[in-house]
Amino acid sequence: MLALTTTGLLSGSALLYAQAPATRHGDAERGRRVYQVCAGCHSLDEDDVGPRHRGVVGRQAGSVPGYAYSPALRDSHLQWSPENLDRWLQNPQALVPGAKMFFALADATDRADVIAYLEQQR
Amino acid sequence: MILSDSRLTRREALHCLAFGGAGTLFALSGGVLTPVDLARAASLPGQGAELGRPLFVQFSDTHIGFHKDANPDVAGTLAASISLVNALLVRPALVLHTGDITHLSKPEEFDRARALFSHLRATELHTVPGEHDVADATVSEYFHRFGALSGGKGYYSFDHVGVHFVALVNVLQAKDGGAGFLGEEQRAWVQHDLRARAASTPIVVFAHMPLWSIHDAWGWRTLDAEPLMAELRRFGSVSVLNGHIHQIVQKVEGQITFHTARSTAYPQPAPGVGPGPGPLKVPADRLASVLGVSSVTLQRHPRQFALHDVSLA
Ligand code: HEC
Repeated sequence: MLALTTTGLLSGSALLYAQAPATRHGDAERGRRVYQVCAGCHSLDEDDVGPRHRGVVGRQAGSVPGYAYSPALRDSHLQWSPENLDRWLQNPQALVPGAKMFFALADATDRADVIAYLEQQR
Repeated sequence: MILSDSRLTRREALHCLAFGGAGTLFALSGGVLTPVDLARAASLPGQGAELGRPLFVQFSDTHIGFHKDANPDVAGTLAASISLVNALLVRPALVLHTGDITHLSKPEEFDRARALFSHLRATELHTVPGEHDVADATVSEYFHRFGALSGGKGYYSFDHVGVHFVALVNVLQAKDGGAGFLGEEQRAWVQHDLRARAASTPIVVFAHMPLWSIHDAWGWRTLDAEPLMAELRRFGSVSVLNGHIHQIVQKVEGQITFHTARSTAYPQPAPGVGPGPGPLKVPADRLASVLGVSSVTLQRHPRQFALHDVSLA
């Protein structure tokens, strides 16, 4: 069997994701760049595929008016503490079965940094 | 790519390609579909005419409604891609769209996309939905507009110049991690549909999410596609096309060519590079080189497909 794979070119932006040492509170500046991966579905001030994010840290889950949440997240009674956000970003369906965000961040530093960034977006 | 002198000079068209990443032309030659980069085809002595008869052009991930910094003008880059196809000296009759026509499945986004595509000089536009096209609460906007050929199901097959085309929907039963899923009913339908074809029939299968494994951790695969692949292996020439990945990724496995098209809207990182998939912001002067369409040509002698990727740059 002949198997041959080629991938498209890639820009130097890959360097942008070079591992930073894990910090306890996360690096918000680096988190701003990690947040680019959320931008396929989210923005700070507009509902997109997912709800708008400004002020999300500390907010009640499923509470942005006008956004059509899954019943599972809407009725989850979760609060978006940094700890809950970390669990959500690891695997949304493990935290909230039936949630409709199909995306995860595998790397703990990426999660800490993006949460630090969101914490600043009040 | 074959360009008409009257509309765009080859240099202009090449320049235009260099700005965005326009596409791939698919040629069928000896029963084999070969993808050819449109920019490369355009640079051949016969401007690609020697590659055979253009069979179809593949558009993907137009994301009408997206307006973030990775590309604030997705309508503009789609219009540029359409002009590029209209400038082909020998235009294919067929255009395939492998999904994410819109960004948020809003009626006005579908209407905008339709208005843009109405400028395309082709006789048939065949589509499959992406997950961004079925994000409305009632999952009806896409099917209301594009479901006529499939009785509202979205998956269907048709024949064109002796080639059998199969359109599949793998975005309706979302799975953890975002992978595609066909479901039992559709799998049974496609098995039945293919069973009736002679092994010598060239086959083109297209869906939004990859029907092959590109990067499992990012959900860039279809969980239940293996029985379909097993069925396809008996055919002499098969092309399996998808979008979703927003960059060209190709694989040839025996008689099966897998091809992932560029987006006309924005690029994404290479599989596994960085924290996850998402719009990749590239310098404005590079954007055109990472956007585009694909075009396929049908060759007579030998009868095979040729695939061309054309960037807007
Ligand atoms: C593939 C699309 C997609 C991507 C990418 C994505 N999300 Fe989401 N997100 C969603 C959807 C859809 C929901 C709504 C979930 C529901 O209703 O069950 C959501 C919900 C959320 C929520 C809950 C908000 C609330 O108001 O309760 C948070 C927090 C969140 N996402 C954070 C992120 C972060 C941070 C990233 C990037 C690391 C990200 N998401 C990437 C689609 C996505």
